[in-house]
Amino acid sequence: MPHFSNSVKLKYVKLGYQYLVNHILTLTLIPVMAGVLIEVLRLGPAEIVSLWNSLHFDLVQILCSCFFIIFVATVYFMSKPRSIYLVDYACYKPPVTCRVPFATFMEHSRLNLSNNPKSVEFQMRILERSGLGEETCLPPAIHYIPPTPTMEAARGEAEIVIFSAMDSLFKKTGLKPKDIDILIVNCSLFSPTPSLSAMVINKYKLRSNIKSFNLSGMGCSAGLISIDLARDLLQVHPNSNAVVVSTEIITPNYYQGKERAMLLPNCLFRMGGAAILLSNRRSERWRAKYRLVHVVRTHKGADDKAYRCVFEEEDKEGNVGISLSKDLMAIAGEALKSNITTIGPLVLPASEQLLFLLTLIGRKIFNPKWKPYIPDFKQAFEHFCIHAGGRAVIDELQKNLQLSAEHVEASRMTLHRFGNTSSSSLWYEMSYIEAKGRMKKGDRVWQIAFGSGFKCNSAVWKCNRTIKTPKDGPWADCIQRYPVHIPEVVKL
Amino acid sequence: MVPPQQDHDLVYNLRLSSVGPGCVTGSDVVHDLSGLDLTMKLHYLKAVYYFSSHAMEGLTVKNMKEAMFYLLNDYYITCGRIKRSESSGRPYIKCNDCGIRFVEGVCDETVDEWLETDDDSKRNLLVYHRAIGPELSFSPLVYLQVTQFKCGGISLGLSWAHILGDAFSVSNFINNWGQLMAKVNVNSSPALAPRSLTNTAKPEAPSEPLSAKQVNHVGDLWVLANNCKMETFSFNLTTQHLSNLQAKIGSVSAFDSICALLWRAIAKVREGFEPQIVTVCRKDPCHDDNNVLGNNQIIRSIKASFLVGESDLNKLATLIANDQDQVCDERNKIEAAVEKDNGSTDYIMYGSNLTFVNLENAGLYELELNGEKPKLAYYSIQGVGDEGAVLILPLPHGSAAENEGEPRYLVNLTLPEGQVFKLKAELKRAALL
Repeated sequence: MPHFSNSVKLKYVKLGYQYLVNHILTLTLIPVMAGVLIEVLRLGPAEIVSLWNSLHFDLVQILCSCFFIIFVATVYFMSKPRSIYLVDYACYKPPVTCRVPFATFMEHSRLNLSNNPKSVEFQMRILERSGLGEETCLPPAIHYIPPTPTMEAARGEAEIVIFSAMDSLFKKTGLKPKDIDILIVNCSLFSPTPSLSAMVINKYKLRSNIKSFNLSGMGCSAGLISIDLARDLLQVHPNSNAVVVSTEIITPNYYQGKERAMLLPNCLFRMGGAAILLSNRRSERWRAKYRLVHVVRTHKGADDKAYRCVFEEEDKEGNVGISLSKDLMAIAGEALKSNITTIGPLVLPASEQLLFLLTLIGRKIFNPKWKPYIPDFKQAFEHFCIHAGGRAVIDELQKNLQLSAEHVEASRMTLHRFGNTSSSSLWYEMSYIEAKGRMKKGDRVWQIAFGSGFKCNSAVWKCNRTIKTPKDGPWADCIQRYPVHIPEVVKL
Repeated sequence: MVPPQQDHDLVYNLRLSSVGPGCVTGSDVVHDLSGLDLTMKLHYLKAVYYFSSHAMEGLTVKNMKEAMFYLLNDYYITCGRIKRSESSGRPYIKCNDCGIRFVEGVCDETVDEWLETDDDSKRNLLVYHRAIGPELSFSPLVYLQVTQFKCGGISLGLSWAHILGDAFSVSNFINNWGQLMAKVNVNSSPALAPRSLTNTAKPEAPSEPLSAKQVNHVGDLWVLANNCKMETFSFNLTTQHLSNLQAKIGSVSAFDSICALLWRAIAKVREGFEPQIVTVCRKDPCHDDNNVLGNNQIIRSIKASFLVGESDLNKLATLIANDQDQVCDERNKIEAAVEKDNGSTDYIMYGSNLTFVNLENAGLYELELNGEKPKLAYYSIQGVGDEGAVLILPLPHGSAAENEGEPRYLVNLTLPEGQVFKLKAELKRAALL
């Protein structure tokens, strides 16, 4: 099929087509109603009354019909899923004392890996192209030469990050600790006993009948898994508040060996965390920021290659690290395609779905050489939050979904300012969009996260009220500097 | 006193980390090194401050580190690393926020116990010192060691590359830090703009400087190779000593009279090879406080036309005191000499001649923790040339009726090993030791 998209005429044809297909119901209903109205007017009132009498309604029939209608309506409203609202969320902002400039990272790297100049060279090249800035933060234990990752230090980091985020959330929402009904904490690589959720319950003296969950080992997409779990729980428990805490604790997972595939996470993962308040209470409808529309989870673990592509293991010297395979991007692309196939029909307007269906039929029946139609997701969403896993991930998704630079700006800038904060990065990105004043009522947001397994999870939110630029939050003191231009290669 | 057998060193549990500026300095910020800075590249300043447990009440090492982050927002030049210009090979500082090296250590003695047996080799355990190089861009310019003693007191050991600035800059640096820790509102942050040499004209000078001399190329490892082993020792001068000195020498300052005394004593020890020329360094009173980081001290060269060893102290002291700053100030000469070949020759200043440094006005006891001054502030120079160097440091003294035996000055000498024994004997004879 020749490519006419640049022609202006075709653009108008496309717009007309979209309008027609998306509003087909309205467009057919209006003529029908007009026809009925004209007919009624033509018949006149006397004729209508005689028509009514000829139907021979009696009381029993009328009552049965009424009950039937009421019954159907009740069943409908009861089986409708409860609306889940995101009241507010808070992101952790690390102190400047945890800051890691490029030069410091490289110097420490050289001292820690003094016998392996090739590994140091590799880290330098990764850092140059990583898309990170000079303000990302690592926890205090990692600043030592060599790092001192004790369990106490790990707990210390968890306390600082989680409690800061929770305190901030309490302040923003006015939530009382006793009002938390459901608590879900997700942290992939640090899972002490008692769990981090128990740590939160202990610190804030939460209720004894709280429903608490601790998700570990689920990778960077665990944040959306927690949201999904909260949603399911909120369907079962009426009138409840759920707090979700997403974080990744860096201290115990800093790789101390020299294998290159395992050094990559050291360059990218940074300190961060977020606490989110979800609720199904009707009273929160007015002040909630977002409403959860869909959560779609895709797991490619059945495929061996996907299962092994992000793998925690020991290297030859016994150092534990996370090994990233070379096909990571390809597998991520496959997982994304799977996820899109499921989420597409849920969110895309009818016009895009029809085009996709027609192209699919065409490829199967007429000519397999037709280009597969990539649905235009920009029509379904105003904002995109792509997990800031690394520059390559964002580039890949921008290409696959044909997004503009502005759509991926939140992701790129979060990667620059905070690094890869794992499951909480999506919330820093949302915060960026709000800080820029771009979030308006009715806007739809698509959060996409990838994680080990290999998983691709999506969440769709609808903005409930126009959000004023927040005075606090992780971007408050630096938003005016953004967006920044991030060079392909930073000269160190 | 023989210390009991220990299963670890005197100062142990050393933990290294880096502390940099809290704010991003920006990319491509560069601080050029002047000719005078480059002259100092083989010299390092070591400062040790001792504080009692009372001064450390409520303060932790974490607080100190945090205050340092804020201090370094202004002193980001000290956080940079040396790089060589691609065209000329001239070193400059790239302000890349790499940071100073922060060292935490523990000692099982109390501060008082330590001070009783303090000597040069012991003090070196309190200052983590590494020379710059062989990899210039990975060598920190400043090391700060905080050692915690058994009693709760601490010592601060600072190792500072002299290319950044003189002892007066070091003292300013530490004092500003103290103010940040006390959360005293510093009205104006020290204005520390990086230097740019692109537009400065090269100074002209008619003759070679006397106070700085060339040494063999050291390449990228900035360590001075002495021809003999150098030894450092120190002693106190009490009020009694000073009044005796005052009686012998007329109306000159204490510093000038101490210099005269030591010059003659060293000349006697080096019979036949007397130092005819000495260098005297002191604070520049005219230098404005706007740029507190740099090599701004006055460097004077003083030549004696007579035999020093047998001379009259009065004559010597007058020679030191009377020479006009403007005539003997060699800073421009040194600058011109270094710039002649664009900084590719290596020089030294301390120890090229016998050098005397006056630290009276350095503000050594302005640093306060919890309102308390240090028990002792000790400065020394690492990398002194063969002729030796002498530092005169003030000591804190009570303002009450002056006790005859109260120490007023600390004299710190770095001399070739062979001369130290003879000098100590000479000083004993002069009733100073």
